[in-house]
Amino acid sequence: MSSRISWLPCLAATTVLGLLLAVPADAQTGRRKATSLVIVTGGQATLPIPTLMEGPENSTGNLDVADQLFLRLAELGPTLVTSGESDFTPGLAKSWTRRDSVTLAFDLDTRARWHDGTPLTARDVVFTMARAKNQAVSPRLSELLRQIVSVTPEGSSRVVFRFARPYAEQLYDATFHVAPLPAHLLDSIAPEDLARSEFAKHPIGSGPYRWARNVPGQFVELAAVENFFLGKPRIERLIFRTAVDPTARLNLLLSGQADAIDIIPPPPDNIRRVGADTALRLISVPSSTVGYLLFNQRDPKNRARPHPILADVRVRRAIMLGLNRRQMVQAVFGRHGAVPYGPVSQLLWIRQSAPEPEAANPAEARRLLASTGWGDSDGDGTLDRQGQPLRLLLSLPNTSGIRRQMALLVQEQLRRIGIQIEIQQLEFPIWQERRSAGDFDLDFSGVTQDASPSGLTQSWTCTGANNVGRYCDRAVDSLMSEAILGRGDPAGTWIETLRRIEEGVPAVFMYAPTLVYAVNRRYRAVTIKPHSGWITVRKWSVSP
Amino acid sequence: MTEALDVLLGAWRDPRGRFGALVLLVVALAALIGPLVLPDPLAQPDVLRASRPPATQHPFGTDQLSRDVLSRVVTGARISLSVALLAVTLSMTLGAAVGIVAGYWGGAVDATLMRLVDGALAIPRLFILLLLLAVWERVPLLPLIFLIGVTGWFATSRLVRGEVLRLREEGYVRAAEALGARRRRIIFRHLLPNALGPLLVAATLAIGDVILLEAGLSFLGLGIQPPTPSWGGMILDSREVMVSAPWTGIFPGLAIVITVLSANLFGDALRDAVDPRSA
Amino acid sequence: MRSWLFRRSVQALITFAVALALLFLLMRAAPGDPLFRLSADRPLSAEAIEALRARYGLDRPVGTQMLEFVRGLFRGDLGVSIEHGRPVMSLLAERLPATLLLGGSVLLLNFTVGLWLGVRQAVRHGQREDRWLTTLSLTGYAMPSFWLGLVLAWLVGVEWRLLPAAGMQDPLLESDASWLVRAGDVLRHLVLPVMTLSIVSIAATMRYQRAAMLEVWRLPYMITARSKGLSEREVTWRHAWRNALFPVITLFGLWLPILVSGSVFVEAVFAWPGLGSLAAGAVGSRDYPLLMGTSVLVAALVVTGGLVTDLVYAWLDPRVRFE
Repeated sequence: MSSRISWLPCLAATTVLGLLLAVPADAQTGRRKATSLVIVTGGQATLPIPTLMEGPENSTGNLDVADQLFLRLAELGPTLVTSGESDFTPGLAKSWTRRDSVTLAFDLDTRARWHDGTPLTARDVVFTMARAKNQAVSPRLSELLRQIVSVTPEGSSRVVFRFARPYAEQLYDATFHVAPLPAHLLDSIAPEDLARSEFAKHPIGSGPYRWARNVPGQFVELAAVENFFLGKPRIERLIFRTAVDPTARLNLLLSGQADAIDIIPPPPDNIRRVGADTALRLISVPSSTVGYLLFNQRDPKNRARPHPILADVRVRRAIMLGLNRRQMVQAVFGRHGAVPYGPVSQLLWIRQSAPEPEAANPAEARRLLASTGWGDSDGDGTLDRQGQPLRLLLSLPNTSGIRRQMALLVQEQLRRIGIQIEIQQLEFPIWQERRSAGDFDLDFSGVTQDASPSGLTQSWTCTGANNVGRYCDRAVDSLMSEAILGRGDPAGTWIETLRRIEEGVPAVFMYAPTLVYAVNRRYRAVTIKPHSGWITVRKWSVSP
Repeated sequence: MTEALDVLLGAWRDPRGRFGALVLLVVALAALIGPLVLPDPLAQPDVLRASRPPATQHPFGTDQLSRDVLSRVVTGARISLSVALLAVTLSMTLGAAVGIVAGYWGGAVDATLMRLVDGALAIPRLFILLLLLAVWERVPLLPLIFLIGVTGWFATSRLVRGEVLRLREEGYVRAAEALGARRRRIIFRHLLPNALGPLLVAATLAIGDVILLEAGLSFLGLGIQPPTPSWGGMILDSREVMVSAPWTGIFPGLAIVITVLSANLFGDALRDAVDPRSA
Repeated sequence: MRSWLFRRSVQALITFAVALALLFLLMRAAPGDPLFRLSADRPLSAEAIEALRARYGLDRPVGTQMLEFVRGLFRGDLGVSIEHGRPVMSLLAERLPATLLLGGSVLLLNFTVGLWLGVRQAVRHGQREDRWLTTLSLTGYAMPSFWLGLVLAWLVGVEWRLLPAAGMQDPLLESDASWLVRAGDVLRHLVLPVMTLSIVSIAATMRYQRAAMLEVWRLPYMITARSKGLSEREVTWRHAWRNALFPVITLFGLWLPILVSGSVFVEAVFAWPGLGSLAAGAVGSRDYPLLMGTSVLVAALVVTGGLVTDLVYAWLDPRVRFE
């Protein structure tokens, strides 16, 4: 090897090493680190603008950033109750008055400003609501806001909402679903051009943080608004760092490249690992997810006929009693999960006075099965009846590690009472399709719930769009409509609804997890609000 | 036959070849005997205390479902080695058959076959397999072995064809034909034994490739289906717990590295023994 | 030469077109559509879903969709991504540099370190250095890259904190930092992903190059060169390696598609903001415009890679041109 050539590689190597060492990472960024917060999330905020988050853009990534950029008229209070008017905290509206059973008047805070300095007025609220209720522009929002008949300004700082009928969640509908947009910047842009406009690349809102920069695929940086009317945030730079892969997210947190994470990816071993890191603090937050094994009460091959095995409520009840849900939740979630009563996540406020879910009882399960004619005539461990073995297909998407793990546990536990379960893991879209078509025996569903319990109508009423198991109980239907549209306190009615659902056993309600957030201990006054995780960041402080 | 033995002994004399062969033997033995003495790889004895780090009771620790990692690695060895051996046998047989036919018959047959082989060699094997496996949903074990075997014979056929051509040039074949020997005799008595050396080399090297390939497919969820343990599948399961239970992923990976390395060391030594010029 | 080049380019274009048509059809044939996620959480009314389908052009027949796509292709418009709500073209333009950086670094390492070590091995074949390098390269070759990536990210990034565990840039870097500091920052983030991909490929290149060099070693013109009195070094670097380059160039042609698919995994584990992660997300959400856009780009790269490979062959070996 000529001497001329052999030191070339060595020179190259030294140059590279030199560049690598030229960035003493912590020293450089030490000063900046003190007043910044790096949150690692799973999705990037590509379009965090109210009324544009309709389809797939209605993602956590977008919602998290939109919550910082755009303030709502009023926020959910600490109780998370969505009915009535007393449990909300003021936002852009400093107060509200009820004029009659269908009219609410909001008084806007005159100190509120847009990020470009323009004061917020009633015109902005009217403009935004008009866009939101326009079905061509926002199909999803317009459906959520269908009970709002009119939104009219009274002067520049009062807005009056009129509703189609009296019901408990009027304030919730008026404030939660969409935050006001700046009319003075957007009224010249047609709704269909908004997504491609300059505004979309550099949104201007009324919230505690304004848009600073976006590095595609990597992070979105927000800067604190100097004269934010509810108090300037003490954290100057708020950075949402994207990593789609859950392992990468965890690695970013544990290597110190990020300060906070919204959901420590399952399984709970990871929570223990994060807890072992002395620089990080764990914060438990109720999750809006609930997981359940849905029974198909119709024959998958012919939906007009009842399911040959599962149409009988005694069989369903037997399956429910044969599963030790408490043990499974503990195995998969550790301390961070509970067995739900009815299809209710930890976040839904109606669970507050719900009774305890029924405990496992394999002996009773076996008795019930025997009473419906299932016996083990060939002694192979699986029950059979008239020559047909008690075999059921359990479908689940391959995207959920939790459900995968639980499915194996379910399979084993049901095997012990003589039921043979075949697990079928499918790619998400395929699982979705089969589910909608009713092509399953047991479906392991995982649902993210709205703050409002009215979302339950989708899956548990006879005509609910998501009721793929074809469960139908008229009493439940009428109880639910009474709770949603009635005038009085709906809490008791909801409990009654849940009781009836549990009796009918349309599904085995498996888990209602607790999310565990992790935040670096440098940050003080840290609270996490369920539904809008990072919305309280503006109140946090940093110790040096 | 004696040539094959010579080759094997030659490989044994090389220290790296010896190391490779010994390690392979150990792995094979573990795969055979291990599952008989170790706990059940599918059992979930105590789900409430899963993911234990390596300890005396569980030398490789336990995974998220409290299954013993050592027994899973060893059972995985059994699966990986059988898949590799069966698939490679299929590939070698197909490759040898096509190679002999192409080399011996020559002419249009040879041209067409080699065209086909060239075309197939242009597409990366992984792509072909991914395409085939994506269409079929959950491939059972035997069809999987078949698919892997049937996509791996192309290079071998060229190799064997080369050998056959060489033998023809050396007049060997013509002499036998002149003596009135029948085709089948020529193939089985003369061509095949001479091609055995290079075939053995190719087979040993192919074992390593198939192990890596199967691991990759299992990692993508397209290969061996759970709950059957496979090294690739174990690495897939360990992905989400790498920071909290790294032993669930490190050991299967090391198993792959050691096995493939040994197969390749031994294969290299075999090749040096067959053709000293390439040493 | 020109007519050969013309023929070869036409071949490439046809391959490209066929590949695109196949991909388009394959994507539409797969079950599930981009709006499935909506019905998961809060099912919409039938009208709302229809409105969204119309917005994304999903309600028209497949043939029309394909025609629209091709027409857009000629205009340079690849449509709007369903998941991101932005033009596909700008998304691709944003993410391409990161993938090129990653892939380019791997190829660079391959063709410098890999080549150099392979040649070194051939020159000293049979000696201790050769044997050790062989064992080393075989060990590298035996590592599954997906395992290596996971272990490196965990060990080097999280446990030892020597290098960043993921990402491409440090978001906290001063906005007025010099380009040198920025380059260093990216370089530090680049090390682990590149190592994951290149350990295996360098090992393969070394083996290939060594074998190819040894083949060439025995050729008659090499003996002539030696007998002319040229030193071993000159023989190696002036004559041998050029001819031994052929198999490596073939490797290059083959490595390109493998690099593309390998980078999908690496980009996921190391949160590298390239095309791979973009495409992976698009597959999961059935984002057709984005998927097609990425496929167009990748197909173009692969076909061009093949074309360039052939060109280099033709330049090195005039006989090829006249086939």
